[in-house]
Amino acid sequence: MRARKVVIIGGGVAGMQTALRLRALGEEPIIIEREAQLGGKVRNWYLLFPTFIPSADVVEPLMRAVKEQGIEVHLGCEVVQFDNHRVELADGERIDCDAVALCSGSTIFDARLKEEYGYGIYDNVYTSVDIERMMAEGRMPERSPRRVAILHCVGSRDEKVCQRHCSKVCCITGVKQAIELKKLYPKADVFNFYMDIRMFGPGYEELYHTAQRNYNVHFVRGRISEASPLMDGCIQIKAEDTLTGRPLRMSVDMLILLVGMRANDDNVRFAESAGLRLADSGFMRAADLFAGNVRSSREGIFYAGTITAPKSIGEVLNEGVVVADSIVDYLNKQEG
Amino acid sequence: MASVNFGFGISKPRVIDIDRNNLRKSDEILLEMPELQTCIGCGSCTASCTAGNLTSFNFRKVHALVRRGEYAGAYEEMNKCMLCGKCRLLCPRGINTRGVVMLIKRKLGDF
Amino acid sequence: MNFYAPFTLPFIIGTIILFIVLAWKYVSWFVALTHEDKRLVAKGVPSLATLRSVWEVVRESLLHVRIFRIDPRLGYMHMSLALGWFLLIAVGWIETMAYMGFAPVPLQGHVFFKYFAAQGVVTEHKPYFDFVMDLLLAFVLSGVALAWFKRFSSRSLGMRRATKHTTGDRLAMSFLWFIFPLRLVAESITVALYGGGSFLTGSCGSLLASIFGERLLSYAFEPAWWLYSIALGGFFVAMPFSRYMHIFTEIPLIFLRNYRLRPREEKGAIDYFEVQSCSRCGICIDPCQLQADLGIHDVQSVYFLRDRRYNMLKQSVANNCLMCGRCEAVCPVGINLNTLRLNSRALMRNIPNERRYGYFRDIDRSEGSGKVGYFAGCMTLLTPRTMSAMERIFEAVGDQVWWADRQGSVCCGRPLKLSGETDSAHKMMEFNRSLFHKHGITTLVTSCPICLKTFKEDYALEHIEVLHHSEYIERLIASGRLVLERGDVRYAYHDPCELGRGGGIYDAPRTVIEAVGELAEAEHNRRNALCCGSSLANTAITDGQQLKLASRVTDELEATGAATIVTSCPLCKKALQRTAKGGVRDLAEVVAEALPRK
Repeated sequence: MRARKVVIIGGGVAGMQTALRLRALGEEPIIIEREAQLGGKVRNWYLLFPTFIPSADVVEPLMRAVKEQGIEVHLGCEVVQFDNHRVELADGERIDCDAVALCSGSTIFDARLKEEYGYGIYDNVYTSVDIERMMAEGRMPERSPRRVAILHCVGSRDEKVCQRHCSKVCCITGVKQAIELKKLYPKADVFNFYMDIRMFGPGYEELYHTAQRNYNVHFVRGRISEASPLMDGCIQIKAEDTLTGRPLRMSVDMLILLVGMRANDDNVRFAESAGLRLADSGFMRAADLFAGNVRSSREGIFYAGTITAPKSIGEVLNEGVVVADSIVDYLNKQEG
Repeated sequence: MASVNFGFGISKPRVIDIDRNNLRKSDEILLEMPELQTCIGCGSCTASCTAGNLTSFNFRKVHALVRRGEYAGAYEEMNKCMLCGKCRLLCPRGINTRGVVMLIKRKLGDF
Repeated sequence: MNFYAPFTLPFIIGTIILFIVLAWKYVSWFVALTHEDKRLVAKGVPSLATLRSVWEVVRESLLHVRIFRIDPRLGYMHMSLALGWFLLIAVGWIETMAYMGFAPVPLQGHVFFKYFAAQGVVTEHKPYFDFVMDLLLAFVLSGVALAWFKRFSSRSLGMRRATKHTTGDRLAMSFLWFIFPLRLVAESITVALYGGGSFLTGSCGSLLASIFGERLLSYAFEPAWWLYSIALGGFFVAMPFSRYMHIFTEIPLIFLRNYRLRPREEKGAIDYFEVQSCSRCGICIDPCQLQADLGIHDVQSVYFLRDRRYNMLKQSVANNCLMCGRCEAVCPVGINLNTLRLNSRALMRNIPNERRYGYFRDIDRSEGSGKVGYFAGCMTLLTPRTMSAMERIFEAVGDQVWWADRQGSVCCGRPLKLSGETDSAHKMMEFNRSLFHKHGITTLVTSCPICLKTFKEDYALEHIEVLHHSEYIERLIASGRLVLERGDVRYAYHDPCELGRGGGIYDAPRTVIEAVGELAEAEHNRRNALCCGSSLANTAITDGQQLKLASRVTDELEATGAATIVTSCPLCKKALQRTAKGGVRDLAEVVAEALPRK
């Protein structure tokens, strides 16, 4: 039986896992990656929740395996349009194939759109992505901040920025970063401002508990409405402490915005060119949410990773396996 | 407990007795403004409130009490609102908060 | 000659009722005018304003010049009915005079002259009058035909949507539409039986005679005049109670307006003239974005005025309006639609209550000191980029600034005023006015057009000049105090309603943009600009509906190809940001970015 070509759009953890599994099943995967390097967003993270393993422990074995398996990789390539038999690249190249796995992930919400939080205006307002990078590169401020506020749901669950969905991983990221900050700055007071705490994964609730009990991380139920600068360089935040029913004001040295995942702008174009369906959130709509999680509404086009919804890394890796099996299943049926 | 300041005194601290409270007005309000049901109580409205910045006015709490049938003092509280509209710009559920203020004033006051 | 015939009775009765009702209405309205308004009238009558008014009456009540500007076909329709009918009456009167000399002729004698003069002597000028009268009748009939046509296809007359009328209006309209065809029939039969007539009635007469024969026509002669008289009488009775009240009301309104009488924030007698001057032409419907984008069809100014006139105005209608002023900008009668809606809301919601807002006492959270005061406004506190840009601009020119509300303060009062709670709004205005005076500023700059409008119109600030930040920056550039580096970015400018139509400031922001980059104009701009949809004046529409309005606006702005949308209102900025694909910036931001780097 000849090896069948499967083009994988996106070389993040979802794309690499899919490619490796397809290769293990004897098929010929081809990865198209927009960036100059494989690894996607996970490459930028520092330690991963809930076990605090370095992100490299997940990404690097995948990247190595892709190389060892001799999987064809196109770096720095944008996909213009595709259908189930052909993928067209920005440089004009066309790749004929037997199936396509769309693993192009999602986009981090631009915190500048929530202008009232002052991101991009005041120096000491950061996003969770900034913090990951600063931690990884050892660029965190040397002087311990007195107080840090971490705000949940920035660009998630917010009609005002047209992002209605929950980004799922920010809550646990907030808890993780709070613990990291406490490890780095034991004297600092860290406050999480949340609307709801959603600890859905294994070990998450336990980590939340640990943060409260072992690290004395404070949790305030209320959404920050505004941040404004103070004369001493601090940021003053305003929220309602909804559990006491009173407005709360606090000056902090750092404000960290837990930015959510939003659908890629590309999705609209891809949906049009390949005849796919979008969910209301702008993410791709899977065939169904039970047995058809990784199938699209079109034959021969499959999804893995955060292209369909925000997911944790573990979930994404599982989907890579599932999608490869589904693709092989589909290809066998096509031939058989 | 008498010394505890609950922020404002629109309702004496006691059980909210849904069996005894008359929810007719509350239902009427919800019928006219069904989106009020989508409030997740995040407190953005109250945190940014121009009037809440100067007084004990707490929009989230007042409308929540109204919805439980606790009307005492709600009209007077809502009268502290300046209708400036900051809350409407912030509400993550897109609730027409200014409309809610006006509706509660109309239903519970003399408009 | 005897000028009495039984068929004239419906006309006579209708006319008497019309004049009694009109007299009663006008006298009671004039009596109810405020003392101040009456003084203005007394002062205005012997002035040039009266002559101006006469000219305006000719232009607007007869020629309908403003409607012509909106659409020539629509203008012709209105003109042919108004001017045509007026000339029919005037020339008919002259014809009677020419026939009778200056003998006293009762009113029905003029109106039904063709009937009474049918068997009389033929004077030498009769053919000329017959021709002119036929021409005028044809003129009016063409208008009636267009009006019929418009009912079935408003689009062909330049209106996407025509007014939905009440039963009363439909009745009055039916009478009106039948008047002139019935007149044609009655006159044609008369001509067929007794001769005379010109190209219209003459040829119609011979046509009728050839079809029905003279015997049949002679039976139809009296009934035809009866029907014409009934149509006239019926219309006259319905007129003061229907939309056609506008025919007469617009005339005193034009005079009163030229005497500087205006509706105010509380309901007054002048409002009757304004409200009943609405002809329900429906020109206000098309520009309404609630109609065009949201499919809301019962709140537009025409329906608002109708409901208000018949005392059936509901809060849901009164509150569902962006007050963007797009309808006011096109209203051919120039009715002050926003003010009327405001005072309707005030009537429904304003409750004078001395105890409210007592908490304002002793509040002063202002910072700094200087001759220039900056009032951010509540909304600008949520767009801190605007505020920090203003700070950089103030620094660059070295102005000492008093920051009125950077740490929050009392609202300007306009939102409450817009929702009808006028007395409460005044409490805020009084508070801020004394705050401004206390700090001794001479210039008050605000970046919020909502605040700006109320500062200018309601505050009566002494020795303090109120400027929008666009005007302030424009002046700094003009005087050379602010030097900017011009880039080659294209900016699409969005006119905020309260700044443009509300404050007449269109050029200042454009001049400023051109000092830093290239200006791109959206399809609808300036007086015609679209509303962002988040207007504080509307407390009825949902968030989703606001979003829909905004997306239409951003689509149009992005169609210019400009990379960035610039506006000069925090509310517009927030609204457009939700749907814009590129960036949305405040004017101050693009200016601050163009400051030379140190």
